[in-house]
Amino acid sequence: MFFEVELQRDVKINATNLDKPVSRRFILACLLDNLFKEKASEDHGYFLAVTRLKSIGKGNVMDESGNTVFTVVFTCRTFKPFPGEELQGVVRYISQHGVLLKCGPIRNAFLSAWKMSKYQYIPGKKPAFLNNELSKIEKGVVVCFLVLAVRWINASRDFEMLASVDADSLGPVSLPGSDELEL
Amino acid sequence: MMSGEEEENAAELKIGEEFLKAKCLMNCEVALILEHKYEQLQQMSDDPMNQVSQVFEKSLQYVKRFSRYKNPDAVRQVREILSRYQLAEFELCVLGNLCPETVEEAIAMVPSIKTKGRAHDDDAIERMLNDLSLIKKFE
Repeated sequence: MFFEVELQRDVKINATNLDKPVSRRFILACLLDNLFKEKASEDHGYFLAVTRLKSIGKGNVMDESGNTVFTVVFTCRTFKPFPGEELQGVVRYISQHGVLLKCGPIRNAFLSAWKMSKYQYIPGKKPAFLNNELSKIEKGVVVCFLVLAVRWINASRDFEMLASVDADSLGPVSLPGSDELEL
Repeated sequence: MMSGEEEENAAELKIGEEFLKAKCLMNCEVALILEHKYEQLQQMSDDPMNQVSQVFEKSLQYVKRFSRYKNPDAVRQVREILSRYQLAEFELCVLGNLCPETVEEAIAMVPSIKTKGRAHDDDAIERMLNDLSLIKKFE
């Protein structure tokens, strides 16, 4: 789900940049740069865009070198998945064990073969999962799935999900369009 | 393996106080916002894709593909209509994203709307879905 949440971050300004008064613009530029590098957090999800600046605190000198920290409060658009949520994703990889879906900024949503109980694996050049009603899950197909679990990977600052289609209203859907960005 | 809060479950609206109070955005709303931002970057740079993060790029691809409503007026109407039905922000956006066609589908997608004590009987849900389908028809 996409959210607009309030966040607080400490922006550290090096003493070398303090020979003249620090502008709000400079602090904001540092904040945006920091968020770009941070990419996502376990608590709030992937950072998409800062929408509103709420406050910039008075600078607090950190140490003898004169490095100063400004606490910035702002609202930010984020994407964060939750267990129990229904999402849509695109199949990017298939094996006999299951399917990997990509969903927005999340590259790995694993849909295990165990969680596609009505589907059978069909091996071949274009492997797929097929059910009795000839509904097919293959590479490039859009799948509506239930998020069973979410895991935060601190090393890469990414989320991964476990998915299921074992319920009515879940499974492959036909939606127009491709996954490529139309420029 | 599980995320920090073991009892998180969006199907029961257990998403934490912070996210219950936060504004949620439907895919179609995010698509309008990110497309506008991308257009601004196109005007400023020959290669706008170099100016945005992978998160932005992947999110833009995602919301462009999974927006059920494209027209800005239709997007506004969807939120206006769903806002009349005393839904939580999260529920409103799931319905706006997945566009269930029947009452049974709506309850399967958003089980929390039928939690005991809530006022959403099947007739109210059906009216809501009919209103949504009219917007789609005339978009």
